[in-house]
This record gives sequence, C-alpha cells and structure tokens, in this order.
Amino acid sequence: MENKFTSRFRGIGQYGIFLAFVIICLTLALSTPKFFTVSNLMNIGTQVSINALLAFGVTFVIITGGIDLSLGSMVAVTGVLAASFAHPDTYPIIVPVFIGLVGGLAIGAFNGLVITKSKVPPFIVTLGTMTIGRGLALILSNGRPISNLSDSFNFIGGGNLFGIPFPIIILILAFFICSAILNKTILGRYMYAVGGNEPAARASGIRVNHVKMWVYTICGLLSAVGGILLTSRITTGQPNAGAGFELDAIAAAIIGGTSTSGGTGTMTGTLIGALLIGVISNSLDLLNVTSYYQQVVMGAIIIGAVVLDSMGKDKN
Amino acid sequence: MTETILQIKNLTKSFSGIKALDDVQLTIKKGEVHALMGENGAGKSTFMKILIGLLNPDSGEIIYDGNIIKDNSVSEISKRGISMIHQEILIIPELTVAQNIFLGREREISGNKNGWLNDKNIAVKATEFLRELGVDIDANIKMKYLSVAQMQMVEIAKAVSNNARVIIMDEPTSAISDKEVSTLFRIIKDLKSKGVAIIYISHKMDEIFEISDTITVLRDGKYIATKNASELDKNSLIAMMVGREINNMFPEPVAEKGKIILSVKSLNKKGKFAGISFEVHAGEILGISGLMGAGRTEIAEAIYGLSPADGGVIFINGQEIKIKSPRDAVSYGIGYVSEDRKRLGFIPQLSVSKNLTLASLSKHCRGIFIDNQKENKAVDQMISDLKIKTSGRNQKVTHLSGGNQQKVVIGKVLATLPKVLILDEPTRGVDVGAKFEIYKLINNLAVQGIAIIMISSELPEILGISDRILVLSKGVQTAILSRSEATQELIMKYSIQ
Amino acid sequence: MKLNFFYSFVFLASVLVGCNQSNKSESETKDGAKKLVIGSTMLSMQNEFVVNVSDEMEAKAKELGVELITVDAERSALKQVEQVESFIAQGVDAIVMNPCEVEASSPAVKLALDAKIPIINVNSETTAKPTSFVGSDDVESARIAMNYIVKKLGGKGNVIMMHGYMGQAAQIKRDKGAKEILKANPGLKLLAEQSGEWDRAKAMSLTENWIQSYGTKINAIFAQNDEMGLGVVKALEAAGLKDKIIVVSIDAIPDALQAVKKGTLDATVYQNAKQQGSKAIENAVKAAKGEAFEKEVLIPFQLVTKENLNEFLK
Repeated sequence: MENKFTSRFRGIGQYGIFLAFVIICLTLALSTPKFFTVSNLMNIGTQVSINALLAFGVTFVIITGGIDLSLGSMVAVTGVLAASFAHPDTYPIIVPVFIGLVGGLAIGAFNGLVITKSKVPPFIVTLGTMTIGRGLALILSNGRPISNLSDSFNFIGGGNLFGIPFPIIILILAFFICSAILNKTILGRYMYAVGGNEPAARASGIRVNHVKMWVYTICGLLSAVGGILLTSRITTGQPNAGAGFELDAIAAAIIGGTSTSGGTGTMTGTLIGALLIGVISNSLDLLNVTSYYQQVVMGAIIIGAVVLDSMGKDKN
Repeated sequence: MTETILQIKNLTKSFSGIKALDDVQLTIKKGEVHALMGENGAGKSTFMKILIGLLNPDSGEIIYDGNIIKDNSVSEISKRGISMIHQEILIIPELTVAQNIFLGREREISGNKNGWLNDKNIAVKATEFLRELGVDIDANIKMKYLSVAQMQMVEIAKAVSNNARVIIMDEPTSAISDKEVSTLFRIIKDLKSKGVAIIYISHKMDEIFEISDTITVLRDGKYIATKNASELDKNSLIAMMVGREINNMFPEPVAEKGKIILSVKSLNKKGKFAGISFEVHAGEILGISGLMGAGRTEIAEAIYGLSPADGGVIFINGQEIKIKSPRDAVSYGIGYVSEDRKRLGFIPQLSVSKNLTLASLSKHCRGIFIDNQKENKAVDQMISDLKIKTSGRNQKVTHLSGGNQQKVVIGKVLATLPKVLILDEPTRGVDVGAKFEIYKLINNLAVQGIAIIMISSELPEILGISDRILVLSKGVQTAILSRSEATQELIMKYSIQ
Repeated sequence: MKLNFFYSFVFLASVLVGCNQSNKSESETKDGAKKLVIGSTMLSMQNEFVVNVSDEMEAKAKELGVELITVDAERSALKQVEQVESFIAQGVDAIVMNPCEVEASSPAVKLALDAKIPIINVNSETTAKPTSFVGSDDVESARIAMNYIVKKLGGKGNVIMMHGYMGQAAQIKRDKGAKEILKANPGLKLLAEQSGEWDRAKAMSLTENWIQSYGTKINAIFAQNDEMGLGVVKALEAAGLKDKIIVVSIDAIPDALQAVKKGTLDATVYQNAKQQGSKAIENAVKAAKGEAFEKEVLIPFQLVTKENLNEFLK
C-alpha cells in the first residue's frame, strides 16, 4: 500500500544506503585527512571483514524469513576449536582450519535441523544455540583463553598477500561466492521464494526444509570463517569472543536493505551495511569521539536506514 | 433519492509514466447501488484507493457532500463516512466481533474518557447493532471462529456503525456461498433504504444486474459511460467493458481424447471426502462441481500432495504412485493452480520472470547455476504465449492485474510440462476479457494432450468448458455427467443430494 | 509431537537431576566433626584473573579442611545479592564475595552482616563495609604502570590511555591513578583516551585506528588490562611500530608474561591472585571461628619487566 508521504520518497530507498555511505565517506574525508589514505582503508577493510562474513551468513537466513542469534557463540566455539589444534609444531595449518569449519557447519546444521523438524521459531532455537554455544566454548577452553598459536595460523588474520591484508582477501572472496549463491544458483532463488511466500514455494514443489537446512548450515560455516579469522587476528582462542557479534551482523544486513520479514535482500547491500558500520566506528575513533557517543550514532543509523528503506519501498 | 453525495471529476493518476487513470469521473447519489465495472487493469482498484485516501491523485477533484475534499488522508476520509470493505478482510482474529466492530472507537463507545475499557458496554452495543442490521452473529465470539461471509458482515457492520454514507464493496461475494450472498443483498437493500450509497465492484454479471441501480464502466483507465442498469443487458455491458463483442464465451472442445492419464480409486480423507473414483484421459477436461465445502479443493490438494489423502490409490499412466508432497506430484507430471492465488500461487517480492520459472528452474540451469539467457528466453516465450500484460519480465508480479497474475501462476505450472493439470477456480477474480483468454488457453492445453481437471463454482463456466462433470455433495461423489446430459438443474440436483 | 514433548521433558528433567546430584554437598561429616562451610560468589568465571583467585581459594580451603561452595554471579549484581541470600538461607559459616559492582553489590554485605555471618570482600570493594577486605588498591596499580612510562620516556612524550568498561570500579581507579602521575609530570601529554572494553579484539581495532590518526607521534600506550595490552601489541607489531612505542598494562596474566618474555609487551603489573585468594579464605575461616583477623589486607602490586620476570613465571 502506497501513501502520499512515502511515494514522495520512492526511489531514494533503493540507492539510499549507497548514497548515505558515499556522503558519509566524503564528509569524513573532508573532516580528517587521515581517513582517506590507503593504509586506513586497508585498516577499515580488515576491521570490517569479520562482521561482514557473519552478515553475509545472516543475510541468507533473513532472506528465507528466519533469524540466527547464535552467530557470536559460533564464532567463539569455532575459534576455540581451531585454536586447540593450532599450537606450533603440532598439526599442519589445514587441520585447525578444517576442524573450525566443520564445527561451524555442525552447529549451523543443528540449528537447521531443529528448526525444520520441530517447527519452533528460529528466534527461539538460535537463542538456545547461542547459550549452548557459549557454554561449549567455555567447556572446550576450560574458561581460559587458548594462546601460543603457530605463525602459519596467525597469518590468516594478520598476514598480507600482495600488500593486501589476508582478511580483506577472504572478505572479497566470500562476497563473490555469497553473491553467486544468492543470484546465480537455484538454491539462492529458492531462498527468496521461501522467504517471500513459504506456502507458495512449497506448492511449487520446492523442498522448503531442504532450503532452510542449507541456509543455516552456510551461516554456521561463515561464522566459522569469522571465528578462525578472529582467533588468528588476536592470536588467541577466547571463549568469550564474539559476544554481541550477531547483533552487529544483523544490523549490517538490515542497514543494507534486507527485510526482516523475508523475501528481499542483497549481498551488495549487506556489504555496504557492514562497511558503513566499520567506517563510522573507525572515523569516530579517528576523531577521538567517546564510545558513548559512538553507540548513539550507530543506533541512530540503524533506525535511519530502516526508515529510509521502508519509505522507499514500493509496496503497492 | 436523487441527491448527490459524492462526485469525482477529471481524476488522473500515473505510475511511473503510465496512466492508470485518465480523466475519470463518477457521480454517486444517496441510496443507490452503483456498480463500477471494468476488466482487471481498467483502473478500478487505483480509483478506489484514491477515493479512500490510500493514494494521492495527480489531478482531479473529489466533491463530497458539496465540499471539495482537500485533506484526503485515510483517517479524515473515514471520519467523513466513506468506508471500504476490502477483498482481503482486515480484522484482528484474536479480538471478539464486538471489539472488532468498535476498534479505534473504544473511548466513545465505553463512554469513558479516561482510557479504561468497558468491554461489556461494547458487547451490548455491538449485539444491538448486529440485530438492527439483521445479522445473526454472536458479538462475543472471537473473529477467528467466523466464516469468511460472517467476517464480511462484521466489516459491513463496522462501516455502518461508523456512520458510513458511502460504502465501497470490492468483490464481496468472491468467497461466500449463495445463501450468504442473499443475506448480503438483503443487507445492501436495507442500507439503501437508509440512504447509504454503495459502490459495488464485481465480475459476476448476474449479481450486478440483480443488485445495482446504476453502472459505470471503465476501460484501460478511461471513463466509458454511466448507464441505468435497466438500460443494459449482459452482452451490451460486456461489449462496453471489453470494447468489442464476445459472442461465444466458451470455445467448443475440439481436443481428441486419448488414453487414460490419471485415475483415482476410492480416495478418502477423514472429515473431508470419501470414495472418490474417477479417471481423466489425455486431452479431456473433467469439471468438478459442488457447493462450498463439498470437498472440491481438498480432493485437488490431496492429489497434488499439499495435504495427502488418508486412503485410496492414484495411478498415472496405469502405474500406481504415492504422493506425499507437491514435489512428488510435480515429479509425476501433475500440476496444480490453486484457488488461493495469493497464498499458494506466487511469491510477491519476486518478478514475473522469477515466478514463472520457479517450479521448473532446473530446466534453465547449468549445474547448480542458473543460465540467465536461457531463463529469459523461456520467460519471454511464456509471456507472449500466455499474453501476459506486463511492462517486462522484471516487473514485480504484484504490480500485475489479477488476471495477469493468474496467467503467471498458470504459466509457472505449465513450465513443469505437466501431463495432468488441476485448475482450481482459475477465473476467480478475473475479468471477462481475461476469462475468455483463460478458457481458450485451457482448450489449447487439452488439444496438446494434457489431461485437465477444472474446479469451478460457476456453473455456466463448468458447463461450457468440461467434457465430463463430476459432482460432489458433502465430500461424496454423487454423479459424473457427460457434456451432453449436463444442465445447471441436474448439477444443482446432485450437488444438494 | 506430543510424545516428542514428553521425551524432551524427561530428558530435561534427568539433566537437571544429574546436575543437582553433583552439587550435593559432602559437607555433613567426614570424621564426625562438623566442617566449616564457606560460600563464595565470584564476579565472573569467564574472567581469567577471577578464575585464578577462585582456584587459590579452593586450594586454601582444602588445605584448611573447610568446604567451599563457589558460585558465578556472571557479572550481575542482582544475581550476586540473590546468591548471598541463599548462602544465608543455607546457613554457611562465612561468605567470600568478589563484588560485581561498588553500589549494587552492597546490599549483599548488609544482608550477611544482619544475619551475623562474616563476609569478606575479595579483589574489589563495595560501599558497605564488609567484615574484612582482601585486595589491592587499583589506583596504585595504575600509578606503578604510569611511573614506568615516565621513567622510560624520561618524563617527556605523548601517551595514549586505553580504558576498560567505562564506569566500572577498576576503570575508574586505574584512570585516577594514571591521571595523578600525568598531572605530576607535565612533560607527558595525553594524546587520546578511549575505551577498549577490556577486550583484545576491540583494543586491536582501536589501536589500528589510533595509528592512522597519530602514527609515530605516539610514544607510549597504557592499557588498563593485559587483554587490551596484548591487542595493542598485536596492532603495533602489524604496523611495524612496536620498537618505537612503549606498552604497559595491568594484571600479569600468563599470556602477558609470555609477551614480556618475548619483549613485545614492555611491562605489566602483577596483581597477586594467589595471595588474594588464600588471604580471603584465611580471614573467612578466622572470622567464622571467632579468631582475630585483619580488617583490611592490602596486597601490594609488583611491576613485571624482563628483568624480574622469572619470579612470576610458574
């Protein structure tokens, strides 16, 4: 349903986030010369990478009309798992990475399984997994950070390739893969269908549960990538890492135009959402703004983005 | 009786450059039932949305009770007394009938200024009000327990209780039984006598001539004419709407009948239907008729696996098959176009193109990747084959008219190349022109050798198009009539048996 | 569906019963004599330092032959008060509390004193005066850290301070101590201060951003805990600035000691978890038995640098 107020703003919403992002970047570039430098941009890219990875995962989930609150816990579990096998001179680098990824995959699949089999809303299931995951991370690590990791493992989060920080390379790769999944594969198309109108998707012969299983599993896998990256970046597996990450990731997806009611959303939008969050917290640090104000600004941007989006949305 | 209550002049509205309404006018008098006719896409919905303030016109005037309306916000307009009974009924299921009727006006009804509710008072007033209106509904039960028709009555009651002087009814009979229709008409006549004007939108010709005093026709967003109902007959009205004469609505069945494709033996589902046995040949159209609640849709949903049967067997090409989900049905070559287009038909957020290929996506793929070129080619072919009126394959499906949405849904199912096609009320909410096209399409599909099952509650339609007609009564199959022996009377007889 | 529900209920019930059993106290008697029971509520068992204190308390309790019941307040003062309430209800002989908050945990102290049960605050304070306090003065720790920077920079240079969670007792006191020293040394300029929320990853990002802002202008960074200090070190190493910037933090957790050994972290300040834990139990036992005890035990901080590192490595 379109009304006169919103129709005036039609069209802004589609490009609104991108526009807002460009404007904010320009303003920052003008207000501090330190913002628009190669090293600072690399810096932002690295800082954004983990949140963006999680946000990609949760974008899939939100598009199908679900939600995943267990992201942050999955980061902790997979990080601790990977760290336990990443001490120097124990296993080759592939082992901790593989084990971390399998851990994320398993928790994601667990989410998917419970959601599809029990019909309990994803909000509740993943809320449970969130707590379970946090507990698992503490159990696996005995409540203490796992440090003394091998150099090759620490390269993942701290190394450079052709002068580009490795996390940025992972981010870019993940972005292209996720975009391809969403836009170019049958699975991606079915995600939109399931989130847009689940009964109609089922009636079209789509295996709705199958799609949901995939989505939560992929989300778990991406969280694991984030968890390994974080562990490697801070060179410790911390059981209390990643607390609240799920909210930042969901915020990035929403700022990027993913509708919480399902059926719409893009990876590009989510990437911009994550970058926007990263740029703002980076620049507020550069301008030495107290963290109190940072939180206020961030909240205002989330609300602003959604308001802009709903005004621009063509609901007719 | 002749006093004008509402006048609209020179109304124009464009969407992204395309004129949805072009210089439209309408004059409504007190106490008349004014039918607004036109094919889907003629601009009726846009017109009504402007009238109730959901949309802003580009230009034009709305004069209500002698005053030009300037502030046309929804709340302002409903305060003035223009109400719309929507096609999709807007109610709050967990509240009672009484609470729904007076929703938003609790303060004045309770007689309390301080914000405390007086539910007792609300219930008493609502009961009184419903009795006055001659509606037999308990004001104290929750909305969710009511039938569609009863909910509609409550909506009307709500409008009237709000002192509505103009009530817009958009397809009010699309989901209610004949008996309920007569109750509705009695209430409309009652409202008329109280001076309330009704703008009545429907595709059902018989209803229009039964209930309306005046008829205004729109076509392609333009005003065509306003006439007294008595001056018109069905054919002349259709001619005005379509812009040409349609002499024979139903094309003659010409398809050759081949071997048996689908056969169903003693299908049953507890509380829904029992002992259903029939067969459909290639190229044959089997009509299924029966009153509301006779189990028509339930049988279709059982065969398609949406809600599988408890017992009985289904054969495809002589081979017994088990169907547990729509996915199974699709794999055996069964296609289903649901009566509930919005819920089961399409994905509102997706484009025409993506909806069309949704059920047959693997045909347009290389590995797990979608081949966009191949997909687009197939989609363009479907759009032209089915004559879907759209600005392009990337248009959102929700922006299409009802008839064109229906074509998209049919197209989606056809793309799976079904051997058996079940059409459940394929022309519901579809205008005359598009109806005719859908009939032709069904016939063509039969010629191609598809076995077709068509469920319809419109008797002329089912008589006109079916080779054989299966009649249901309360979940039991009472007759299978051949085309030559079937008549409206005979079908009715078996329906109420 | 119903059956499933039933099974899950049975499962849950059995899990709960199982947990309960393992908690059942063995206190009653071993050799006939009644064992003293001490209840302890800890700020957060996810915090390494707190876990260390708790481990020492456990060891000391064993040594003295008293039973120790330890519960985790999970950083919630409300929970902590409730836990103390249930200790009182259980009739423990003494309570050790590692307070979550200065104000909000105070009611617990009053409750215990009203019930005539001695309560010992360990590590941090509450506004209400407990039976005894065992801990260290956080203001002092920051003074030690800042003085080290003063000494290293010769009283001149640009310093950045990374705070913990704003408003927590430790942050407020460490801020106070650091600012005192800065005031006394006008040659030192505080370039920037910001919260790293006690978190290593946050600290790392924050430092990366500071490097963008100030680069080589920075001479020293004081992080209010080791977790953050290690994050700072990581960021500086990545930027190739570690050799030019002095980093000091507080707590002397094992990771930080390793970093001091490697020379990446210049210094940390040792807060003696061992002594805090054992002293707290000692005092609790004395108070319970009605013996004499110290009202306030302040355990001194010690600066840890490469030179004296071996004393602290286990």
